[in-house]
Amino acid sequence: MSRPILLSGERLQKRYGGVIAVSDVSIQVGAGEILGLVGPNGAGKTTLIDVITGAQQLDGGELLLSGRVLSGPPSRRGRQGLARTFQYPQLAQELTVRESILLGRVARRLDSPLSLWLGLLRGLFMPVRADDEAAVERIARDTRIGGLQRRCGDLTLGDQRLVEVARALAQDPAVMILDEPFAGADATGVAGIGEAIRIVQRQGHGVILVDHNVDLVAAHADRIMMLDQGQVAFDGDPGECLKSEEMQRVYFGKRSHGR
Amino acid sequence: MNALVRRAPLRSRGSVLPQILWAVAGMIAVVLWVGGSGYRQDLMVLSCSYALVGLGMYIPFIMGGSLSAAYSAYAAIGAYTVCIVAVRTSWPLPMAWILGPLVACAVAVLLGMATRRLSGNYLVAVTLLFGFAFQTWTIDASGITGGSSGMLGIRKLEIAGWQVSRQGLFVGSLVVVCSVAFLIERLRLSPWGIALRGKREIPLAVESTGIPVPALELVSLGFGAAVAALGGALFSGYNGGIHPETFGLNILFLAVFMPLVGGVGTPWGAVVGAVLAVQFSLNFPSSIAKSGSFAFAVAVMLVLLLAPKGVLGYLALLRDRMRRRRSDGSAAAGGKQS
Repeated sequence: MSRPILLSGERLQKRYGGVIAVSDVSIQVGAGEILGLVGPNGAGKTTLIDVITGAQQLDGGELLLSGRVLSGPPSRRGRQGLARTFQYPQLAQELTVRESILLGRVARRLDSPLSLWLGLLRGLFMPVRADDEAAVERIARDTRIGGLQRRCGDLTLGDQRLVEVARALAQDPAVMILDEPFAGADATGVAGIGEAIRIVQRQGHGVILVDHNVDLVAAHADRIMMLDQGQVAFDGDPGECLKSEEMQRVYFGKRSHGR
Repeated sequence: MNALVRRAPLRSRGSVLPQILWAVAGMIAVVLWVGGSGYRQDLMVLSCSYALVGLGMYIPFIMGGSLSAAYSAYAAIGAYTVCIVAVRTSWPLPMAWILGPLVACAVAVLLGMATRRLSGNYLVAVTLLFGFAFQTWTIDASGITGGSSGMLGIRKLEIAGWQVSRQGLFVGSLVVVCSVAFLIERLRLSPWGIALRGKREIPLAVESTGIPVPALELVSLGFGAAVAALGGALFSGYNGGIHPETFGLNILFLAVFMPLVGGVGTPWGAVVGAVLAVQFSLNFPSSIAKSGSFAFAVAVMLVLLLAPKGVLGYLALLRDRMRRRRSDGSAAAGGKQS
């Protein structure tokens, strides 16, 4: 792979008591690369994302983002350039679609105690900046989101996922991690999420795309990593993954005869 | 067709002019109601003082979901600062109105840092304990606070040589409360307010965007305490003193319920709730109920059962229904014509 490496994790480990959820997993995402992360339920996909983003503590291994050590709470990793969506959409029901996307856009200006005090004082007297409003409208257009004044609590599951992706896109991340973004999405939602992925790719940033649907992931990804019981079962070309014995074994329980 | 584009939005982004017009109309109505009655004037200044405490609590509690029970102490800090500066120093009194909120803000941030690992009931219990401890301290530290008899007869507020009368303070307090509510409504819709409102429901997602949620919570607690202290300063400035019992546990419960009764969707709900709380508690006709506090408790329960979004939330709902009915009616008429 000739792309410069954006995110790299070496021998990542995560245990829950005696259960090993992620075992010696090494992961790399290059600039402009879309990495598909697939595997059946309980394979360790969401746990791997959680340890990368800091939602859970890593028990072993090392993470680097753009050559710098990636550690600390999720906010620090967000500031370093990670953006994510969640397996169960995390949108405040009270906020409107516009406000949810705006949250991703303005986060970089509220990233320290001092900037939070300044943001408070600015918020008392000045409304949302025109360039932020324009950015939100542009992102909404790119991801095919309408009805910006609707409350997130009124949205369908698919639309909530789309808004979550738009919020991550608004962060202008170095690496965007999407956890099952297509689950519950209709055709417009799938197209909007696909466009968000392409925008990040065009900017030379990376995407980790997690989903059960291997065909859908293969259609978008440059490379696929398949996890099984916390370990890497396959890492390579999407076309090869679909035809591989590992795929048959992990998803359909078929044993290999050649080995 | 994406479901997101189905219905046209009915809510505005907190437009400025209607708010100002409503606030001015409300102030004129209050001034007309008060007329020359000193008792009604006292009630309205008390309402303004409570409204500021309620507005202070609105920021971390309603917007941010953090219930700190030390708001009686923050209001008392504002009130005592005015009295201490008036009695024990020769500093100009307007300085005390700034100093009190700053001290309350610093105390709230320190208390928030000390309790940052606590949440829910534990946070309420510890901050409640702080409120009690502060009240005990005001009784014990008689050399500073006047002890159990409090501090009375403080000098009057002077601004640039002009001594502000009680009527002047009354009108000023209306302007201050409306201005603070207006600014907090702007804050609610600002990027900072969006982050804080998001934090209440989805703290991990807000944290993942890069915003340090614990620091955001501390800032909201500090700013809320400063607003509550302004309410305390207003009380002691108008009444010419403070007593350790003035800001006790009762003000805390009122501050919690004021936005719930008035409406949680906007800080103006805390203002409406404060007016209702004072009217029910102190100005309720004794022919209907002997205890005004009991009447207020019944009103709180009725509002929470029948209009969970509070009085203003219910009014907004009625307005939206009427607008929708009107737009449906005009659409049907347009259809018939064509």
